[in-house]
Amino acid sequence: MSATRRLQKELGDLKNCGVKAYENVECEETNLLKWTVLLLPDKEPYNKGAFKVGITFPVDYPFKPPKVAFETKIYHPNVDEEGKFCLPIVTAENWKPATKTEQVMMALLSLINEPEPNHPIRADVAEEFQKDHKKFMKTAEEHTRKHSEKRPE
Amino acid sequence: MDDEDMSCTSGDDYGGYGDEDYYNEADVDAADDVAVTPTHSEEADYECLNVNQVERVFTDGVNSLVSRVPVNEKFARILLEANQWDVEKIVKHFRQDRTEFMRRSHIDARPEPRRKLSATATSIAKGYCSVCAMDGYSELPHLSCGHCFCEHCWKSHIESRLSEGVAARIECMESNCEVYAPAEFVLKIIKSSNALKLKYERFLLRDMVNSHPHLKFCVGNDCQVIIRSTEIKPKRVTCLSCHTSFCVKCGADYHAPTSCDTIRQWMTKCADDSETANYISAHTKDCPQCHSCIEKAGGCNHIQCTRCRHHFCWMCFGDWKSHGSEYYECSRYKENPSVAAEANHVKARRALEKYLHYFERFENHSKSLKMEEELRDKIRKKIDDKVNEHNGTWIDWQYLHKSVSLLTKCRYTLQYTYPFAYYLSAGPRKNLFEYQQAQLEKEVEELAWAVERADGTARGALEAHMHRAEHKRQTLLHDFFF
Repeated sequence: MSATRRLQKELGDLKNCGVKAYENVECEETNLLKWTVLLLPDKEPYNKGAFKVGITFPVDYPFKPPKVAFETKIYHPNVDEEGKFCLPIVTAENWKPATKTEQVMMALLSLINEPEPNHPIRADVAEEFQKDHKKFMKTAEEHTRKHSEKRPE
Repeated sequence: MDDEDMSCTSGDDYGGYGDEDYYNEADVDAADDVAVTPTHSEEADYECLNVNQVERVFTDGVNSLVSRVPVNEKFARILLEANQWDVEKIVKHFRQDRTEFMRRSHIDARPEPRRKLSATATSIAKGYCSVCAMDGYSELPHLSCGHCFCEHCWKSHIESRLSEGVAARIECMESNCEVYAPAEFVLKIIKSSNALKLKYERFLLRDMVNSHPHLKFCVGNDCQVIIRSTEIKPKRVTCLSCHTSFCVKCGADYHAPTSCDTIRQWMTKCADDSETANYISAHTKDCPQCHSCIEKAGGCNHIQCTRCRHHFCWMCFGDWKSHGSEYYECSRYKENPSVAAEANHVKARRALEKYLHYFERFENHSKSLKMEEELRDKIRKKIDDKVNEHNGTWIDWQYLHKSVSLLTKCRYTLQYTYPFAYYLSAGPRKNLFEYQQAQLEKEVEELAWAVERADGTARGALEAHMHRAEHKRQTLLHDFFF
């Protein structure tokens, strides 16, 4: 499998990059194609918790994009109830083999920190975000407290 | 690609009927023969080309561009493909905003930050390919942007893009780099694999033909012919190789007086009772720009068409660019669900009744056309019998054959008036159309009656019927098609 070397390198780079926005980068013991990353957004209302993201690499990685989805529930205009979201850099049409998982994580983080209500998956949440921002912040914060993972010390 | 398949053989489709071609020619003349001279032709001006001839069309385009602007042939092809082979438009952009135009056309890379450039330089020095994360490569092929990757990764990338159907627009592997790989580069990388090479050439030809406004693949099964025509109206072409007739604009069955968009809508609607069609209508929509059928696979409503790259909103079909806060207007509709649902139910019933009215007539004429095929065979046999019995010569009985041909032609047009009428909004134009349609219908049925009883009808009377039917057909086409 040609993906092995590339994945090992990326896993190493990601673990040692020293960026505070994500931690606990892990891959399944028997399967290098399945990773989890703990995402730590730094903007309210998501900065009170941590969110687990699952990454599944296809066998023909890096020529096909990885599948990325939240495993932790998150109340966000751009993430649906199943944890799926629309991130252009990992779509089949836009995917580039030289794009690194680190870039994908940064793109996801910026989507979480800066929601795009004009490009929503959950129209109801997006409407609340735009029309009643206070209520949105309150709901999202409560949701984060209730469902998200603990931030590592 | 095989050149030998392209020769135009006159196939003997009817098993033993050697004079088929003669009959077909008689069809074309039938209208003139009954003294209705059409002011416009329903046949498009066209020529049938084989792959080599099409390659010459492309080469001519490339040469004319290269002689006008300072660009080499491999980039000229990319420019022409991306700009519908419009040499004037490209020349104009070269004068106005050359640098930006070359970047926008995926030929030149956009400038990169110095930090990234020096990182690239370091990895090249080590022979490092960042896609497979291996170093020590002596050769790292790259496009005009200078992003280097090993040959093996390039090959896998090209293979992967081909599996998605991308050929003319294969981009560099670097993130955010939009430079396209010229054919010359791709072919060099995949030279060792004949299967890949064939696939690439086939897809590239498809992309080039599709991007050229005057070229269209013949829609016949396994037919390699490419039709070249500058026709703007949806007229008819007939492939000289496989004899398939179709509309020069959309490739569907010839459909005058109906327009391409209308017939497309109609055919989708007609296929509605099949499960696939139900799925298609429930889960797919057509791109508002190029009308490709798009299936939405994710939740996101911002759709980019993979074919024409148009960005649009899945809900309201508006251009995505003009789509700021108006988004919520598309979801607001369900404000009073019970009233809306009831009204929809009534509306749906009425719509169904209207549709069935037109559909039944459309279908009925289609069935009649099939049955009249048998009539044509019968008359052919009748003529043979008469000639064998020395009752007149073959030429003497030609008018019988012509009468069936003309009947087919008129009924065919009549069939396609129904989708046209279905989508026509009420008003004087529709009234006029339906009046003319009714007249054509009457003449067609009278002609059919006369043809079926041709033995008992005098030649003069039959020819009078033919004349009237063709006259009504021409009038209708003249007023609503040409």
